[in-house]
This record gives sequence, C-alpha cells and structure tokens, in this order.
Amino acid sequence: MSYNLTLAETESYLRKVARACGLDWGIAEEAGKAARWLAAFDLPGAETMLTHLQHLKGKDYRSFIPNCSTEPWQASGGLLCPIITGAALADRSAQMLEGMEFKLGPTAYPLLLAATVGQAARCHQTVFKTAWAGVRVSCFENGLSIEGNRDDLLLPEVDSVSCYQDDLVTPQQLPSTLAYVIDSKIFKHINELAFQIYVPASDESRAGAGAGLTDND
Amino acid sequence: MQDCADNNPVPAATGYRRPPEVVMRLARMGSFHQTRLSFMRTLLRRLKKEDWKFKRNLWAIDEQGFGRAVYTVYGPERTYSLVGFSHDLPDDMRSDRVIATAWDATFTLFDGIPSEADLDRLEQNVPKQEAGRVSDSELSLSRANRSVRLWQHVIESLSVGRQPDRDQLEAVGYLMRTTAVYGSGKFGAADRLTIAERPEVSGPFQAELLSVWLTRAFSIDLVEHIAKARGGDKAVTIDPELRRRIGVGNSTGLGMAPFLINHPALLNNWMMAREEAFARVRSLPQAKPAAVEEFKQHFERARFNVSQWHSQHPIQIEKLKALGADLEQMASYIEHESLTDDHPWDRFYRWAEDSLSLEGQEQLLSLLLEPYGELVDELTQCMDADEHLSFFIDGAMPVAGLRDIIETRCQWALRVDYEQPENQSRFWYTSAEKLEPRVGERFVELGAEYELPLAIGCDIKQLHSVLLDWDDGPTTAEFLLAHPEHRHTARRVQNLASYPYAEIQDNLIAADMLPIDILRCKLSFFGATKFDPRSDRWVRICMYQDAPFPPELLAAAP
Repeated sequence: MSYNLTLAETESYLRKVARACGLDWGIAEEAGKAARWLAAFDLPGAETMLTHLQHLKGKDYRSFIPNCSTEPWQASGGLLCPIITGAALADRSAQMLEGMEFKLGPTAYPLLLAATVGQAARCHQTVFKTAWAGVRVSCFENGLSIEGNRDDLLLPEVDSVSCYQDDLVTPQQLPSTLAYVIDSKIFKHINELAFQIYVPASDESRAGAGAGLTDND
Repeated sequence: MQDCADNNPVPAATGYRRPPEVVMRLARMGSFHQTRLSFMRTLLRRLKKEDWKFKRNLWAIDEQGFGRAVYTVYGPERTYSLVGFSHDLPDDMRSDRVIATAWDATFTLFDGIPSEADLDRLEQNVPKQEAGRVSDSELSLSRANRSVRLWQHVIESLSVGRQPDRDQLEAVGYLMRTTAVYGSGKFGAADRLTIAERPEVSGPFQAELLSVWLTRAFSIDLVEHIAKARGGDKAVTIDPELRRRIGVGNSTGLGMAPFLINHPALLNNWMMAREEAFARVRSLPQAKPAAVEEFKQHFERARFNVSQWHSQHPIQIEKLKALGADLEQMASYIEHESLTDDHPWDRFYRWAEDSLSLEGQEQLLSLLLEPYGELVDELTQCMDADEHLSFFIDGAMPVAGLRDIIETRCQWALRVDYEQPENQSRFWYTSAEKLEPRVGERFVELGAEYELPLAIGCDIKQLHSVLLDWDDGPTTAEFLLAHPEHRHTARRVQNLASYPYAEIQDNLIAADMLPIDILRCKLSFFGATKFDPRSDRWVRICMYQDAPFPPELLAAAP
C-alpha cells in the first residue's frame, strides 16, 4: 500500500519527527526542508530522514556535532549527523563561495547532508556539490543532479564526504514532482512519531478552543 | 517587497511610513479593517479586469436541497471549479467547532473542470474533510454550516412569495458560515508550488478566497432552490439589492493564529504593502475634489456598516462603542477642516492619532486608501513572499552583529520580565485531538514540554542573554554550533534586517494576550468584515458582503 504525501506535508511531518527525536526546533526545520527537497525530486527523503532520526532518538545529541576546528570534521561520537553538520556547512556558505572545500570524516546518510547544504545553494543561486564514495550530488537554486554511482546514494554511513561550490553548469537535473508516493507502513511510522509532540486533549484544552457562546445559531 | 521598494514611484512616502514599533502591536493589529488591498478585493478586481467568464456547470440537488453542484470560472489561461456537496445534517451534529465531523455542505476547488469520475472520487472524500483525502487536482478543502437563525426564515419567506426580513438578514449577514478553508498541500491537496507560477492564484489565499466567493453563490442558489421546491409557482427569488447584503460567514478559532507567526516574511510583506499604501496617500500635498467626494462616500458607508456590526463579546462591544464615537468625531472633522490642501490626509491622520481609538485610526487608514486605487493597488503584487530566502542564516555575521540587531530592533522583547508568571502563563501547542494549534495555560495544563516555538519575545531575550556571554568576534555559525537551541530564533532575528515588519512586537505567551487580535489582523487582510468574537480565541466574520455575485461580475460562459 502506498500513500501520496504532498511536499508541504513531507516538510511538516519530518520537522515534527525531528523534534520528537530530540532535535531543537531550528535544526528540526532544516530536517523538514531537506526531506521535502529530496521528495521533490522523487528521492526517498522522508524515508531516509525517518531512519536517521530514529537512530538519533534517545542518544546524546552533542556526540553527533562536528568539531569544525579539525580537518576533516569529526564527531566525538564517531559519526557526524548529516542534518546538524549540513546546517553547520550551510552557515559557512560564505567560505564555500570563496572557494573553500570542506572535508568531513565518518558521516551518516550523506544524502541528507547534501540536501541540507542544498538549501543554502538555493539562497545563493549557486551550486553546492557534495561528494562521497562514488557519487556526487549537486544542488541548484531549483534543481538537483546526481553524477556517478547511484548505488551509493543511500549509503547509511561513509568514511568521508567533501562539500564545495561548483560552477553553474547544469548537468542532467532530476525531474521534479509535487507529491511523493510513500509506503503506507513508513508513513504510519512517521505519523506516530510526529504525534508524539502533540498534546492530548484535556477538559481545559477543549473548553479553551471553542466559543463561550453557542456556535450553532 | 524589495522590488516594490526599488520601484517606488512615490519617494516622498518614505517619510510618512509608520515604524514597526507603532504598527506591529497586537492592540493595533486587532483593530485592523479590510482595505482595498485585501485579498478578496484583489481577486475580484482581477476577475473583472481579465474578463473571466462564469457558468454553473452542474446542479444535481434534490427537492430537499441535498446533492452536488459545480461552479466554474473561466480565465484567460485556466479554469477553476468549486465542487459543492450539500448534506442532510441532523441539528445535533451541527457545530462550528473544529472537532465537528459532519457539516451541512462541503467543498473543494478543483483545478479545471471535474469529470464524472472526479466528482465520484470527491464525493467519497470531500464530505469527510480532514478524515478524507483529496489529490493534487484540488486546490482547497472546506466546509460550511447553515445559519440556523436565517436559513429557515429565508426559505419560509421566499417559498410563500415574500422577501426575507431585511433586519434579520442584515443582523446575521450570511446564509452559510464556513468553518475551515484548507489549501496549500493540506490533506493531499495540491502543493503551493503547483500554483506559484499562476498569476491569478499565486497571491496570498487567492484560491481559497475564490472558493469562498463561489460558496456564497452556492448558498443563495441552494436556499432559492429549496424555496422553489417547497412553494412552487408562489416562490420568489431574493431581491437583487437585498441579495448583495448576504455574504458568507466564517467561524475561525486558534488554528489560524500561528500562521502569521510562522510566516514572518509573508507577514512583513503584507504589512509593508499596507503601510506603504497609507504613506503614499499621506504624502499627497493636495487632494482633488473627486477624491474627497469618494472618500466621503466611503465614510458614509463605513458609518452604516458600523451601525450593522453587532457583537455580544464585552471586548468588542467596547471597541464598537469607541469606533462609533470615533466616526462621529471624524464626521465633525470632515465638516470643519479642509480636506483638499496642506497635506490633508496626513493632517487628518495625525489628528486621528491624537483623538481616536485604535479602531478609529485603522478605520481611517482603510477609508483613505479608497480613492487612490491607481496609487496603491499595484502594491498587492508585493504581498506574497519567497519564504525560502528568509530561511537562510548568515553564518558569517559576527556575534556582535546578531546582538546588535536584537538591541536595536527588539527592545519590545528585552523589556519584558519573563520570570513573572503572568508574562509566561501561556504556551502554544498542537492538539493531538484535532492536529490544530491551541494555546494552553502553562501552570494549569499539561503539555508545556511540547511547546511550539511561538514565544518569540521570550526566545529573543534568552538568545540575547546567552549572546552577552560571548565575545564580539566569533561568527553566528560558531555560536549556533554551540547553541543549536537558538537556531530558530537567530534565523528570525537576522531576518529583521530585511523584514522589519516580520515580528509581532508583543508577548505572545502573556496572560493578557488576546489571540483574537492575531485572528482579526489576518482576517482583515483577507477582506473580512463584522468581526464578532465569541471568546478571546474564537471569532466570527462576514466575507464578501455587498460584493457582486459571479453572474453580476462575469459574463456567462458558453
């Protein structure tokens, strides 16, 4: 069974899942945007994000944060979180625009990192390229392209990643979509996790939401 | 908005803009009235200007008034159809609350003209609303309930050949009241990207408001149909002049409030367009007699509308009383002061600032825009936003820069003592029951650990206090790596440099915060009138009252 998830829903759900898995709102927003961006090109952004976030849940968030003073960047816990690290790279996009190439050590789900950095490429109307194993992912203002071995795209863990600005050449861009088809079981899981940040109804909340006067006249 | 500022044809207006610290206060925003920049009016102006056509393509409604109907508007490039389903709803199931599960009528705006198969699919889903699922062929999902007060009266009158009682009709103002209008990718509907490049619906809420305008036509057709079925040859239709007085109602609760807070760039652009329009008018050295005459006509209409605006809510009763007195003072000003010379509109407004309540001041703003469509209507093009741009964080900004923005632009946040219980007594959250935002009492209700990031002022002050412990030199990127918990707020703060009207400059978790102020601001931008709060977090309004109906505004499609 499959379920059609709109891009707006993809972003909204995965932002909530990220929050439910312990990320702060500002980083959770990055997770929602990255999942949406991948889904817009028919890539499994929601599914991959879900898997990664579940792995984060209950763990010490700080152990996934990059130490940016070393090269390559490393996480104290051994594996860099692609969302936190992608946001840190996006925050350094001025350096990338000046030609700096960032090198990362062991990283989880680098596709998620490429999409997170990609948000900054869109703002700068440039191309940020992320490369790992045998594959390179370029994010443009309005597109995304993949070069190399697509089998490496969804690797859950790689030893090294590099990220840099590239020229504004437009290789084959992936076609975009407006609704993403997701497996119903995976969506059910996403929905359940998102639900964890909702507040159950109480007599007080029900009373507060409605009218003090009749609403049926 | 940047483009609009760059192309500013009225440079003198700059000196007349009201600053954010004056405009972005809840008390003032909660006193806004619709203007000619409001989205409903923008929509109808476009439909008329572009010579859109109209046709009721399907009317399969039985004698009881149940069935389905399709209303189509034909534009130069595309067509859109309101698909409406009318249901037999027992009285005890009729509720405007979002927890309702059944309604008198349900709707969707279809992208194009639906086939029979589309209608069958929609009939399986649209009546269920949130529990159903629409597709990317649909641009909105909505529902409406009949006004119990008016519905039977109008049918009974028309069916025996009598016009409905004008007073009763005007006291309510609508036959049907929508209780939610969803768009932009909700419940499977087309994502906003689908329509982002379509000029006719890319502006704020244009698709949703098109569906509401057609819903109004549906409500009249339905009531006349039932009256005809009941009264046969004796039945009459509503007198056209009286018919214009019937709008479509809306009942809105808290779900809508966080939208303005969650879309700061959009809020900025709405506000800036409105303020720029007002500044342009105030900057005029003289007013032509024709403009003065037009202003006076709108003033008289406003007086009439206020006389028709009723509320049972103590807050609004007081506000209406003040507005009534304001209008009388304005009448006296109009009679005694020159409205043609010496920057007449600026003088008038400065007098109003000293003399009138916020209701009156904002009413005057709306009225002063009326004669100047040529000067201000173009600003409606600046009222959407590329929100992606506002998502970017300038990581290279030194910590001192971030601190400086807060200290220069966010004094409203810094001066509140959030340690005081009354200054943090609320929290915003998403209800598990209806998946809608709610506001709770922090010290009474459970769930504050799931708080949504809407306590903007408090969050800014916390960010500032942490920034004070940092040297000037490190970058925002370094700061946010150490403090990811402030990422959301740092993003908003940096945005203020480009979007000065992006933040509501009040404490959104204070004990005395009134959510209806946020609702009214948003609804005034839609073009709503007759705000009638039912509590501090729930408001009824009227839409499209006095507006033309589709067959009046648009030629018939073949």
